[in-house]
Amino acid sequence: MLEATIKALRDKRGVSNVIVVMLSLALIVIIVTNLVLLSYQMNQFDWERAQEKIEIIDVQGQNFTFGNDGPLTVRIISLWIVNSTHHEHYDVDLFINSGDNLTCLRTDMTLPSQNFLIRIVTERGNSAVFIKH
Amino acid sequence: MKQKLKKLCTNRRAVTPVLSNLLLMIVAVAAMALATSATYVITTNMGETMSERIVIEDLWFNNSTGHIEVYLRNVGKVAIQISSVYVNRSSQAFAGPFNLEIGEHRWLSIFKNWILDSLYYVDIVTTRGTHVGGHYKSSS
Repeated sequence: MLEATIKALRDKRGVSNVIVVMLSLALIVIIVTNLVLLSYQMNQFDWERAQEKIEIIDVQGQNFTFGNDGPLTVRIISLWIVNSTHHEHYDVDLFINSGDNLTCLRTDMTLPSQNFLIRIVTERGNSAVFIKH
Repeated sequence: MKQKLKKLCTNRRAVTPVLSNLLLMIVAVAAMALATSATYVITTNMGETMSERIVIEDLWFNNSTGHIEVYLRNVGKVAIQISSVYVNRSSQAFAGPFNLEIGEHRWLSIFKNWILDSLYYVDIVTTRGTHVGGHYKSSS
């Protein structure tokens, strides 16, 4: 029994094959792990984006009221004032918790006198619009 | 002593196994380096393609310039470059090169003469093949 074990340990045949298989396996595992992790991250991002429900509740002068009906906190990063002749972009940085409303006063904006459209864009790329008559 | 040294120098036995082992080692290391580089390149490219996200914040049929202006924002995890713009399935010239870093946003001008009260399908394509677009009406 002992002799057979020693013989088996000394027999080097087939070792290189095992090493090649192990290294190939390691490479495949690295590739698959990377791709699965990335895919998971981006799926998470897309899922969160699909869950966002943001709306513009009211606009009174330069007071804007936004509501978040979704299950996630949203970050509004962009506000647009659009009419037939101008498309004005304003940078904003507002966080709204799930189920909350937020009123924001922007005195730096010049609103058109006639009909216009207000659009907000979130950090994840969703938008909401409100038409002001 | 001199004779011994001369004998050692002229003795060629066991040189072939050493050379073959060395060669095998070089080939194995080179193959492994190649495989690792290929893995890195493939995973990086696929990862970058999967991480691209871009949104059209606004599209403006600009009366003063006569062009179509598109406000783009990069909401993905990699920098992007716009390679082609299509309006109603035909390729259009645009103000390029147009690159957007992560989180960056700005106007992209499409040199297309548009007609009032018409429907246009705008499709913007990145170098990695991501599409973003939609139908827009040039209203008065």
